[in-house]
Amino acid sequence: MAADAPSSELGVGRPTKRRPGSAVGGLPVADSRPVLDGDAVLGLRCTVCRYPVAQTGIPWCPSCYGPLEPARFDTGGTAFSSTVARIPVGTRKAPFALAYLDLDDGPRVLVHLAEPEVVPLGARLRITGMDEGDLLAEVAS
Amino acid sequence: MIQAMLWGVGTSDYGLQPERRVEALAWTAVGEAVADAGIAVDEIDAIIVGSVFGPPGVATRVQRGIGLPGVPMWTIENACASGTSAYHEAVQTVRGGRYRCVLVLGVDQMSTLFSGAIVPEATDPEGAASLPLPGVYAMGAQRYVQEFGVTPEQLAAVAVKNKRNGLDNPRAQLRKAAPTIDEVLSSRMIADPLTFLQCCPTSDGAGALIVGGDRGNPDDLRIEASVSVSGALWDHRSKEVWGYACVARAAEQAYAEAGRTPAEMDVLEVHDAFTIGEIMTLEALGLAPLGKGAELAPSGHTARDGAQPVNPSGGLLSRGHPLGGTGPAQIAEIAWQLRGRAGARQITRHRVGMVETMGGAAAGMDGNACVVTILSTS
Repeated sequence: MAADAPSSELGVGRPTKRRPGSAVGGLPVADSRPVLDGDAVLGLRCTVCRYPVAQTGIPWCPSCYGPLEPARFDTGGTAFSSTVARIPVGTRKAPFALAYLDLDDGPRVLVHLAEPEVVPLGARLRITGMDEGDLLAEVAS
Repeated sequence: MIQAMLWGVGTSDYGLQPERRVEALAWTAVGEAVADAGIAVDEIDAIIVGSVFGPPGVATRVQRGIGLPGVPMWTIENACASGTSAYHEAVQTVRGGRYRCVLVLGVDQMSTLFSGAIVPEATDPEGAASLPLPGVYAMGAQRYVQEFGVTPEQLAAVAVKNKRNGLDNPRAQLRKAAPTIDEVLSSRMIADPLTFLQCCPTSDGAGALIVGGDRGNPDDLRIEASVSVSGALWDHRSKEVWGYACVARAAEQAYAEAGRTPAEMDVLEVHDAFTIGEIMTLEALGLAPLGKGAELAPSGHTARDGAQPVNPSGGLLSRGHPLGGTGPAQIAEIAWQLRGRAGARQITRHRVGMVETMGGAAAGMDGNACVVTILSTS
């Protein structure tokens, strides 16, 4: 654990209702983040309305209630918005950039950006890898 | 349907109070609300509590100090809208005749949990990816900057207005001095484009409300509308920023229920956890078209002496934001304003008031819940 992790300040040593996760000194929890598998983001797609979702284990399409099947989503897409966090969060040191990325024919996913900069709305981004379990994207050249 | 009325309101001070027992914050609020309603304690026939971080069992520990053995009691968690969600359920039970006099309590003590921003929920896909709550709103603000040309000065104007209002609120957390636009913008960046003074402070506090039927008391306020909605999918199809659709959904129902229009709202308390929150919310509430909400504070429209004062209490930006404790504080301010007893904060036209509270931010949903209520003098 990094020396600057704020675990010692969480509830001043008292257990809390919130599960902070192991990144800030709590117990580990199951990882719910989207997963990159080679050249695709894994998820589910509705067999009726084609609704895409980067989650697993859900019982039906949350949009039309149709049955779901496993799907692989292309890693390219456009930025819905982005920001640069200037505060440390979990194990992340400031500054770090985040964006909502609307994958082509896929879901909106939260990604970390390789460079700590805001990108224009609609900028072309591509997921290039994972970093500490987070999707990592770069501005497509 | 029985006409639900707001009989009484009470709050604790809001601010960093780690030395106080969380129950003590609640007892202060409950005591004031019961006195304000002018009821005997044992007239209360149900207790509904809104709290996010509790701790678990906080309602019963509060009950230990106020009596009311065996009355139905339950706790609601709807993120930042927990307190107003508890209020909404009280209104519904009174309307339906299930109870005649309900105590609503909203309480949270943040200072003993977090030393700064709320630690994101590790079980949430976006919380686990280190998206802090200021980041959620910053992404919305970034769209407003790039899509609508909203300026940093327009964002900052919301903080200046609300923090100035809060100077006259003896129960607000921030009361030292109101910052200038430049001071807001030169405070340290938290998540671009939101600076530190555009974020509500971590706070401790409790608010209590007494909701009952129409007892013919001219001090009681008529609850013209109370609407609670949960979130809906927020995904690649959503063109609006996070939160907008959830607030708009609740507002549309509230206006229909009350048979009123946005222009009829004399005073509003809305969820300004971050400056962009007030801007986006006022658009969703119909006070400005999409993309034009940022003009409301700089133009003076939402100033305390403007056409439609917004957050005359100082809002979350000044009062502080103890999640469950926020909603009842918003409703209390509207009650004081409508009754003409808001002291130095009193606005001139005060017949109809609105409260909006927005809870978030679970990944992939446009909100955890939003509550909108419309009250008027009876």
